[in-house]
Amino acid sequence: MQSNRQLIKDGAMAENLWSYVEDDAALSDAASIISLQRLEDDADTLRSRNAPLGVILRASEKQGEDVRRLAPFLDMIQLVAIEFPVYRNGRGFSSARILREELKFDGEVRAMGEVLFDQWQPMARCGINAFEVDASISLDQFNQALGEFSQAYQPASDGRRGILWQRHGK
Amino acid sequence: MYRYDEFDHQLVAERVEQFRGQVARRVAGEITEDAFKPLRLMNGVYLQLHAYMLRVAIPYGTLSSKQMRMLAHLARKYDRGYGHFTTRQNIQYNWPALDRIPDLLQELASVEMHAIQTSGNCIRNVTSDQYAGAIADEVEDPRIISEIIRQWSTFHPEFSYLPRKFKIAVTGHKNDRAAIKLHDIGIVIVKNAAGEIGYEVHVGGGQGRTPFIAKKMSDFVPAAQLLAYLEAVMRVYNMLGRRDNSYKARIKILVHETGEEEMRRLVDAEFAKIDASQMLTVPQEEIDRIAAYFAPPVLQELPATSASLDSARASDSAFDHWVTTNVVSHVKSGYGIVNISLKPIGGIPGDASDAQMDVIADLAEAYAQDEVRVTHEQNLVLPHVKLDDLKTVYDTLLAHGLATPNLGMISDTIACPGLDYCNLANARSIPLAQEISNRFADLDRQYDIGELKIKISGCINACGHHHVGHIGILGVDKKGTEFYQISLGGSADENASLGDITGRAFTEDDIVDAIENLVASYVDLRHNGERFIDTYRRVGMQPFKERLYAE
Ligand code: SF4
Repeated sequence: MQSNRQLIKDGAMAENLWSYVEDDAALSDAASIISLQRLEDDADTLRSRNAPLGVILRASEKQGEDVRRLAPFLDMIQLVAIEFPVYRNGRGFSSARILREELKFDGEVRAMGEVLFDQWQPMARCGINAFEVDASISLDQFNQALGEFSQAYQPASDGRRGILWQRHGK
Repeated sequence: MYRYDEFDHQLVAERVEQFRGQVARRVAGEITEDAFKPLRLMNGVYLQLHAYMLRVAIPYGTLSSKQMRMLAHLARKYDRGYGHFTTRQNIQYNWPALDRIPDLLQELASVEMHAIQTSGNCIRNVTSDQYAGAIADEVEDPRIISEIIRQWSTFHPEFSYLPRKFKIAVTGHKNDRAAIKLHDIGIVIVKNAAGEIGYEVHVGGGQGRTPFIAKKMSDFVPAAQLLAYLEAVMRVYNMLGRRDNSYKARIKILVHETGEEEMRRLVDAEFAKIDASQMLTVPQEEIDRIAAYFAPPVLQELPATSASLDSARASDSAFDHWVTTNVVSHVKSGYGIVNISLKPIGGIPGDASDAQMDVIADLAEAYAQDEVRVTHEQNLVLPHVKLDDLKTVYDTLLAHGLATPNLGMISDTIACPGLDYCNLANARSIPLAQEISNRFADLDRQYDIGELKIKISGCINACGHHHVGHIGILGVDKKGTEFYQISLGGSADENASLGDITGRAFTEDDIVDAIENLVASYVDLRHNGERFIDTYRRVGMQPFKERLYAE
């Protein structure tokens, strides 16, 4: 995590226990976030490792990594970090929902990169529960942003049913 | 018409408050224009050549008289007494002051309207058939499913930062007046052999610099599953659409590069997963609840003809012409659908003054079941008018410069804002539309020429739909001078086609003569009863081209 960032997790300030580990650096026994490629390449050895493991889904110019590649490894990982390279790139919103709804991942899903005020609420709705945000953001501001809209028309990953259904008690 | 319930009201009110906070932070200098940009774009606020522009959503082009009066009021209070109706059935205000926009939006919210998702890379305002609920042979009123789509797509958490903007159009009639095949998703309401309503879904149409006609992805999606299907298309697009080049970011490019078959396979696979969760299956009670708002108005039982109308037509030839060109048969006998042309000869296509909007609102209230529609061809419609009332309605329209009898004629041009307002433009569009309109001002001549759709865009972004004009005109830039390229044979209806470029572009001085020349070719070549587009499809480019470029 960058030094000018802080972690907000499940609606509270949280200590960041994880570090991003480059592909060519050795893995310690600390909680480590590695690349998808390394996970795929070293899955066998990683399986016997006895420390928390996380993966980062990198964005790229063209498309970014495919969240479904994580499917065979979900039992090994406790955290997925999704990179949002610029606020305009909303591909990670779909990655998060697929992770939660299709792959049923229940560990930490973390947003990192350029993540703006108005995106926190939709991110939370898509199943992201941890946010690397600018150190200047107060928890109050964050929670205010999360509550800007009290209702949602459509269901997503946050358990809300959506107004179209709520109207009929569904 | 749909009416907001407490949920709808609350969301729009919260949005206004959110934007008020954002504007306050911007005006106080707490956030930069750069940081403010994505926020204002989500609220329909663009920075144009001279000032901020605000685009207000008119869902599926339907307005009540109260809403129309509010649009007039906003034009008076926040703009220079004008509003501009767009090809996406919206209205734009060209001169609002930024710090007053939150107040404007608050007033708008009081009549159940907003500017949400009228810009930005999200699902835009859903557009539809302006004759919905008034025309014969409709499978279902397209506004029912359009309203459901509007709600589902509003603040969609997953699809608010797509690779590019996303437009959905719906038609419930075999004659497509919503240009659905030129949208990211185009929906045709159909009935299957068992008599059940469903949706034929077309994906990947669009204009811009690489125009495509949409591909049919599914023949029949049942009503309850449509949202699951749409979510599947959107997710495939959000995951695979290109983000490296904004010119290649629309779904039409994804469909083209992926191939129709593979795209269908991807969508079907995604649909199977989403549908299995049942999460997006719309309850029948909700479909019924929304459908009830669009129940046909209670109209009188009237004879199919009106003696007063017939005698008025016999004694007033201008009125007679107007009825012929601008009034369309209604599903109910004794009624008509009135088209109000916003293309007065020499005027600005799509503009209406506050006074005109008020007059139209009054007419809608008194004579048209309180409804007004906006068309993608930038005109307005009074959908349910008694034949007996046509003359009264006409007289009022005439007194306010709103009775130009030119619907579908050469002077009923679509034009984008062009160089007068838009900072992307190569050339002026509006003045050219005005010149063409003036050149062909003579109505008898226009009637002789018959249906001829001219569409003008000031640059390759094609906001003026030039690709689908019977005659399309595109502003191009050559070393800083304005030039115009012509294409022929485009069409936006159920037989959608893209126009073919004639060849070398024309200067500002020559372009109107060139149009004149094309019209003369058509008049010489046409068979009895053929429209321009029919003649072009029969004879092809060559004869038009030869004469156009003859020395
Ligand atoms: S077509 Fe070009 S000039 Fe016209 S409004 Fe669109 S971007 Fe502007």
